[in-house]
Amino acid sequence: MKFNRVWISLVMLATIVLTIFAGIYFLDDRRFFVISLLILMQIFIPFAFLYESRKPPARELVMIAVLVAIAVAGRAAFFMLPQFKPVVAVVIISGVALGGEIGFMVGAMTILVSNIFFGQGPWTPWQMLAMGLIGLLAGALFHHRNKSISRVVLAIFGALVTVVVYGGIMNSAGVLMFQPQPTRDMFLFSFMYGLPFDIVHGVATAVFILLMARPILEKIDRIQTKYGDFRRNS
Amino acid sequence: MFILHPVMLVISFVCAGVYAFLLRGVRVLMRGLVLLLPMMLVAAAMNPLFNHRGVTILTYLPNGNPVTLEAVLYGLAVAGMLATVITWFVAVNAVMTADKIVFLFGRFWPALSLLLSMSLRFVPRMIRQGRVIVVAQKGLGRKPNALKVISILMTWALENSIETANSMTARGYGLRRRTAFHLYKFHRRDVFALGWMITMALVVGVGVALGVNRYRFFPSVQFHALSGASVIVFVSYFALGAVPIILRAKEVLVWKRINSAM
Amino acid sequence: METYQLRDVTFTYPKRNHRALSNINLTIRQGDFVVLCGASGSGKTTLLRLLKPAVAPHGTLTGNILFERAPLDDMPLRDVASKIGFVAQSPDDQIVTDKVWHELAFGLESLGVPSTDIRLRVAEMANFFGIQSLFRRDVATLSGGQKQLLALASVCVMQPSVLILDEPTAQLDPIAAGDFITALSKMNRETGMTIVLTEHRLEEVLPLAAQVLVLDAGRIIASGSPREAVMGLREVESTFFCAMPTPAHIWAAVDSCGCECPLTLREGINWLAVQRISPQQSQAINSSAQIQSSKYSFALTLKDIWFKYEKNAPDVLKGVSFTARHSEITAILGGNGAGKSTLLSVATGLIKPQRGKVSATHAVRLLTQNPQALFLRNTVADDLREITSDANELARTIGLCELEAVLESHPYDLSGGEQQRAALAKILLTQPKILLLDEPTKGVDAHYKQSFIKILRRLASEGMTIVIVSHDIEFCAECADNCALLFDGDVVAQSNTRAFFAGNRFYTTAANRMARGILPAAITADDIIEALHEV
Repeated sequence: MKFNRVWISLVMLATIVLTIFAGIYFLDDRRFFVISLLILMQIFIPFAFLYESRKPPARELVMIAVLVAIAVAGRAAFFMLPQFKPVVAVVIISGVALGGEIGFMVGAMTILVSNIFFGQGPWTPWQMLAMGLIGLLAGALFHHRNKSISRVVLAIFGALVTVVVYGGIMNSAGVLMFQPQPTRDMFLFSFMYGLPFDIVHGVATAVFILLMARPILEKIDRIQTKYGDFRRNS
Repeated sequence: MFILHPVMLVISFVCAGVYAFLLRGVRVLMRGLVLLLPMMLVAAAMNPLFNHRGVTILTYLPNGNPVTLEAVLYGLAVAGMLATVITWFVAVNAVMTADKIVFLFGRFWPALSLLLSMSLRFVPRMIRQGRVIVVAQKGLGRKPNALKVISILMTWALENSIETANSMTARGYGLRRRTAFHLYKFHRRDVFALGWMITMALVVGVGVALGVNRYRFFPSVQFHALSGASVIVFVSYFALGAVPIILRAKEVLVWKRINSAM
Repeated sequence: METYQLRDVTFTYPKRNHRALSNINLTIRQGDFVVLCGASGSGKTTLLRLLKPAVAPHGTLTGNILFERAPLDDMPLRDVASKIGFVAQSPDDQIVTDKVWHELAFGLESLGVPSTDIRLRVAEMANFFGIQSLFRRDVATLSGGQKQLLALASVCVMQPSVLILDEPTAQLDPIAAGDFITALSKMNRETGMTIVLTEHRLEEVLPLAAQVLVLDAGRIIASGSPREAVMGLREVESTFFCAMPTPAHIWAAVDSCGCECPLTLREGINWLAVQRISPQQSQAINSSAQIQSSKYSFALTLKDIWFKYEKNAPDVLKGVSFTARHSEITAILGGNGAGKSTLLSVATGLIKPQRGKVSATHAVRLLTQNPQALFLRNTVADDLREITSDANELARTIGLCELEAVLESHPYDLSGGEQQRAALAKILLTQPKILLLDEPTKGVDAHYKQSFIKILRRLASEGMTIVIVSHDIEFCAECADNCALLFDGDVVAQSNTRAFFAGNRFYTTAANRMARGILPAAITADDIIEALHEV
C-alpha cells in the first residue's frame, strides 16, 4: 500500500513535468490552456484511483457525504450574500477533524455537488482543485493536534488560505483559461481585480470558523468515540 | 470552441447558441450571457492593456505603453471565445443531469460515484430538515438564529448518519468487486452518432495540425487564404457542432407531427 | 429447517453491570413470522440486532447463535449480506442513494452482480411491491410510507432467506403502516421468507404471527402462538398488556370463564357477546356522554381560515373554523394531506392565512413532530438550561416530565419516548399558556404513551390549553376532552371525545367498534373493562 502510493506519486510528478515540456514544445497559442487542463486531470485521476483502491468504509463515505451536504446547504442558505459563504470553513473544519485526504474529498466533492445544483462551468475543475487543496492543507497542518488548536489560529489560517489559495488559483485560472497569451501583468491585474471579493470571502471564512469550529469538532468527535473509528468497517 | 479563428468561433458560437436556445429558451441563454458581460469586458480589455505587440498603434496609455489594433482585435476574439464557452455550458447544464455524472464516475470509481449519489441525496434532506428546525425554533417562541440552526442540523445529520452506514454494511457494502448499475443502454444510433463525431473531429484535428486555416494576430493580423482544404475543415467543424442540434430538432419535429396528427 | 437457533444467549453492553439479555433460548423455523415485543429497554432491539452481524451491538456475548445450523460468527460476509435482510425504523436514514432505481440496485451492486442481471431482479422487485411508477423518481419526492416500502424492496431484491425488521412502522401513519404490514405478510406467504420483527403497534401484526416472544428485562417472559403468548403473559401478570390488541387487553383484565383469548376485533365482538352486561351499566356510560360542561371560555379561535401556499396552488385550508377552550385538551384528527400541519402553522402564527381570523388569548407555542429538531447541547440538562437558568422551574419541569434518570445523557442516546418528553420539557420551560403538539406519539411505545397522557392531563388541570394533532385515534380517545376531524381542508366535526367517537362508525377506536352493539358509548378499553367488572 505504502509502496503503491509513493510509486503513483512519482509517476504523477513525472507525467506532469513531461506534459509541461511537451506542451511548451509542441503547442503554440493554446498551450497554457491545454497544459493546465492536462495537469488538473493528472492530479484528479490518480487521486481518484488511489482513493478507490483504499476501499473507503461505509462510515467514512457517509461522513463525507454529510459534510458535503452541510457545505452545499450552507452555500444555498447564504445565497443572498455573494462571497459570504460558510463553504471554506466547513471544508477546513473537515480537514482538521478527519485529516487531509478526507479534507480534500470534502472540498472537491462540495464544489462538484454544489455546481450540479447551481450550474457547472469551465471553472469547476479549478474550484475543485482549490477547495480540495484547502482541505488537504488544513488536515496536514492541524489534524494531529486537533484538540489543542485554538479557534483564532484556525480563523487566521482560514482567512489566509481563502485569499491566497482559493483566490490565487481562481484568479490565475481565469487568465489561463481565457487568455491564450498570458503575461505577468495580466495575472497581477486579475489578482488586484479579484482582491476585494477574496477579502470578503476570507473574512466570511474566519467568522464562520470562529463561530462554528468548536461545536462541529465536538460533534464529529462524539460520533467517533461513540461508534469507534469510522475509517474501519463495522 | 477553444480555437480563435473567427470563422471557427462564429460556427461554434452559432451551434452552441441554437442548441442552448432549443434546450432552455431565449431567456436563460440571455441571462447567462448578460451575467457574464463584465467578465467578457475584462477579458477583452486585458489584451490592449497588457499586450503591446502588434504593428498598428492606435494610441498610447498614460504609462507610455502603446495600444495596438491587433491587441484590440485579439481581445475581441478572446471575448467571443468566452461567450462561446459559456453558451456551451448553458446547454451542458441542461443535458448533464446529476445521474449522468454519477454514471460516468461509476464506470471507473464505484465508491466515488456512490459518494456523489449519497451527497445528492443528503442535500435536499438537509434543506428540508433546516426548514423543520426553523419552524421548531419559532414554535418555541424564538427568532431562529442561523448558527443555532446549523448546529442543530449538524448534530441531527451526524447522529443519524450511523444508521445510514449500518444500512450500507447490512446490504453488503465493502465486499470485493462492487459493480455500478445504470439505466443507460448503448443503441445502434449511439454507435452511429459517435462514429460521426469522431470522424469529424479527426478531420478538424488533421486540418488544424496541417495548418490549412492557420491564423495569427501578432505582429499583424493574417489569415491563411481560403482553400478547398480549409473549407472542408470549416464544414466538418460545423458538422460536429451541429450534431446535438440535429438530434434535438428531430425530436421536436417528431412531436410536432404527432401532436398535429391528433 | 431452522433459520435460527439461540442457545443460552446472554449479552452485556460495555461498562454496564446488568445483562441486556440473559439465557435466551429460542428456535425460529424457515417461513416463520416472528414478532418480538416488550417495553422500551426490555432488550428486544438488542436481541433482534444480534441476529444480523452487520448491525449487531458491541458488547460481550456468550452462548450460541446458529444460522441454518452453522454458527453465525463463521458465516462468510457475503452470505451475511445477502441471506439476512435488515430493515430499520427510520425510512429516511436507511436510504442511501438519491434515486429509487439506484437504491433498489444497491445491494446487488455490493455483491458484484453484473448490470444486466441487476436490471431483471430490480424489475421483478419493483413489480412485486407495485412501485414501478416510482422507479425513476428522486427519493426526496417520496412519502414516508413509500420510502419504507422502498427500503423493504431494496433488501428483498437480494433474495434473503430471512428478514429482520426493527420497528419498521414506528415512523409511519396508520394507513402507510397497514400497507407496509400487508406487503410484509405477502412476502412471507408467497415466498416463504422468514420474518422476524419488533413492533409496538401489535393490533395488526399479532394475528399474522406464527410465534410471539415477549421480553422483559432481558428475559423471555412469554412465547408461543399469539394466543399462547397472551395467556402466558397473563399468568406472569405483566404490565405489558397495555400494548396488546384491545380485545386481548380486555380479556386479560376480566375473563374468568376460561374462554379462548380473542385477538382480532371480530373475535372480540363474539367474545363480548357472551359476556353478561347489565343494562344499567350500559346506561351509565351512555349518560356520561351526554353531560358536557362548557365551563371554560375559548383560548384559541380560528374563524373561516383559507390558505394556500402559492397563488396558483390549490387551497389547503378551505374555510376552517376551530376552537379550543382554556384548560382542555383538544385533538385534531385526520389523514395525510388533510391540512393538519398547515392548520397548526396558521394557529401558531408562522404563516398568515389569505382570509379568516386567528385569535388567541395568549402566545401560542408549537412542539413540532420531530423532537430532534430542538436538541442543541450535549446533555439533556444543558439543553434545558439553554431555555432558562431558574433552578426551581427546571426542577419542577424535570420532575413533571420524568427526566431525572437521563439528565446527563446525550439527547440522541435517549429512546423515542424519552426524546419526546425531553422536547416537551424544553417547550414547557418557555411557560406556554397555549400549547400545540404535532404528532406527539410518533415512534413512542404504549408505556410511554400512558405516561405522556398523564403529563398532558396534569398540565391541562393546571390551566394549560392543549391542542394535539394526531393520527393516533386510541391516544386521542384516552387523552382528549374534545375531538375534531379535519378532512379536505375543513373541520367536518367537532364535539366532546365520547360523543365524537361513539357517533362515528368507522373512524373510531377499536374498543368502540368492539362494544358498539352492547355499550355504544364505550370508547376505550378501560370503559369496557369497567363495565364488565361491575357485573
